[in-house]
Amino acid sequence: VKLLNPANVRIATEPGQTPCLLGCRCRDCAAVIFPKMPICPRCRGDGMREIEIGRTGILYSHTIAWVAPKGFAVPFFQAFVELPEGPRVFSLVGAACPVGSGVLEDGMDMRLVIEPLADTAERRDTLTYKYVPASASRRSMS
Amino acid sequence: MREVAIVGVGAHPTGCFLEKQLKELAYPAIRDALKDAGAAVKDIEVAYVGNSLGGLLNGQEGVRGQVVLQHAGISGIPIVNVENACASAATALRGAWLEVASGAVDVALAVGVEKMNVGDTARSIGALSAVSELDLAEMGMQFTTSYAIHPKINLKARMQEYGWTIADFAKPAVKNSFNGSLNPLAQHRRALTIEQVVQSRVVVDPLTLLMCSSISDGAAAAIVCSGAAAARFAQQPIWIASCVLRSGEYRLPDDERPDTATSTAAIAYEQAGIGPKDLDAVELHDAMAPAELMLYERLGLCGRGEGPKLIDDRITTLAGRQPVNPSGGLCARGHPVGATGLLQICELVWQMRGQAGPRQIEPLPKATMAQNQGGLLLGQDSAVYATTILKV
Repeated sequence: VKLLNPANVRIATEPGQTPCLLGCRCRDCAAVIFPKMPICPRCRGDGMREIEIGRTGILYSHTIAWVAPKGFAVPFFQAFVELPEGPRVFSLVGAACPVGSGVLEDGMDMRLVIEPLADTAERRDTLTYKYVPASASRRSMS
Repeated sequence: MREVAIVGVGAHPTGCFLEKQLKELAYPAIRDALKDAGAAVKDIEVAYVGNSLGGLLNGQEGVRGQVVLQHAGISGIPIVNVENACASAATALRGAWLEVASGAVDVALAVGVEKMNVGDTARSIGALSAVSELDLAEMGMQFTTSYAIHPKINLKARMQEYGWTIADFAKPAVKNSFNGSLNPLAQHRRALTIEQVVQSRVVVDPLTLLMCSSISDGAAAAIVCSGAAAARFAQQPIWIASCVLRSGEYRLPDDERPDTATSTAAIAYEQAGIGPKDLDAVELHDAMAPAELMLYERLGLCGRGEGPKLIDDRITTLAGRQPVNPSGGLCARGHPVGATGLLQICELVWQMRGQAGPRQIEPLPKATMAQNQGGLLLGQDSAVYATTILKV
């Protein structure tokens, strides 16, 4: 099992910890971005510092996809999540959330989980961040 | 900068040509462009060849331009390979234009070629996804998704903001399918109804199958030359009034700048010395049909949210005041990604010369625009925007 883009996430290693994304904040203009970059896209300053972000977010937009590249099982949710720290990130939606219309609503509270990229032979062994509704059960997929 | 004219164009039909290699798709387009101009291979001093997916899908990772052109009898001259996603061909045209405009050469060739059909749709979709920044592609981001919910366009949100309906989304597909039905080069030549488009299967909610451009093979070529050299060739010159290429900008959620399609068009208008009202025809990047409605406002053809009205009022239909996508656009004519920008140019040149047959715009367009874009970046914008304005 491997982690997709390990520099982008911090997984929970001890009880009580929760996973998060690793973004960065500009020392000069306070812009927060994800994923990390060495230069601030807003002010071009080079004082970017890593910070933990994205434990929670708000659902910005979402759709159900009925076609997919190889290795993804359809139908599946695709979404953008707006983080309280600033960035809007593209994300898949975790397995705790059944795929169906009316299940997700833009503006709802979301929380980050670490899960296999997809429940398929090609992607089962690759872990990534996803979001689920904050109210979804905390039963974790292992 | 010198004035630059297009004096020859040629295209391979778009569609599914499983048995053909890249070079076999490109050859008829190059041959026809030379023939159209009355030019010989020895007239071509430099060539730019656009292609996007030939590595992943066709296995030709490098030197695609040299391979394709040697097959057509063109070798020895400088050949530049251009990969710029779905705007590869428009970028190739800009390279050829710049060579002539700068005075480096008098005659240049631009080619775009793409072979997306490989007998495995999921593989083709996977390759297309890889035209976006890898971090997004690995997460399963697709162009359909990006049009549906990406902050840069977010068609789903327009249904709330503008009150656009699924039937509105279908209107460009219906209009363009009619145009495509009159185009012998088009991939899809069946005129569709609103009901057929709306009721086709959902691909990525709210986009249905018939709102999406399909997997396509094709090629197109254009020969450009200086004003002085134009007299050597057979055709009435069509002038490149502006040829603008921009890249996506990193956009934080609070970004208030105009989107990049808008800013690219603004530069193209300024350099050409005309405005949106002066355009007599437009070929634009309707990779997903409803994107055409957004592009109307971004190119200045209408105000915010007024896109469907341009079709309802028959302004952008073939017989309208400003026909848009007379070729059928990406959805009907086809979207072989690395050829599309030059397929748009071919159509506009034919229209401006009065050679478009049953889909001919009357009176002949005097000023036209081709708008092409591609790729997707983490910075929440497309990667490439190209806008070209032509004048007689």
